[in-house]
Amino acid sequence: MTLKDQINEIIETEPVALFMKGTPSFVACGNSQRALAALRSTGAPFTAVDILPDPRFRQELSSLSGWPTIPQVFVKGELVGGADIVEELAANGELDRKLTEALGDGYRDQRSERVIALNVA
Amino acid sequence: MGHATVPNPRRSAMATIRDVATEPLQALLEHAFPEATELAVVDRTGGGDHFHVTVASPRFEGLSLVDQHRLVYDALAAPLADGSIHELRIKTKGTQST
Repeated sequence: MTLKDQINEIIETEPVALFMKGTPSFVACGNSQRALAALRSTGAPFTAVDILPDPRFRQELSSLSGWPTIPQVFVKGELVGGADIVEELAANGELDRKLTEALGDGYRDQRSERVIALNVA
Repeated sequence: MGHATVPNPRRSAMATIRDVATEPLQALLEHAFPEATELAVVDRTGGGDHFHVTVASPRFEGLSLVDQHRLVYDALAAPLADGSIHELRIKTKGTQST
């Protein structure tokens, strides 16, 4: 599968996807840390993707999303934002509303974190 | 005519360093958002490549935060592409909401 298809599939099929620098257990950037902390504060399950292993990961992602910076958070295929937006939405309750709409009421206690690795085709 | 004020060399040097970093971004944003009611660029670390940008504009009313930030990214596409912005934090506001 091409890189573009892999990224597309993650965006389209993972209920909550976080594209970040590093992984949740080894975060490599302050902004990725901010987005991760905001997501964790909701208790929602999410899937993290590290874009650092190859520069093409980030290029493909940004050309697909039209968003130039990392991190990027998607909920049900929709770009919710980068660190600033996700933090702001977590603080004002809007993120909870979005997640409830996308995942249903029971998502708060799932707290599952998964990592998917991209492969260079 | 009075004498021209001799600038404090230390102070003007500091001002120059700060302006060199933020001025191009400030100019791009002023060009893209002539209607902005608030527009600020802060060099967050003093290193000239980590910036915090604040823009308040009536144009943001009714847009999602993603679309608001996209307008800011569009305005700063050149410095984002050439690497002169290493990190960018954005705060956008409509003029009615917070």
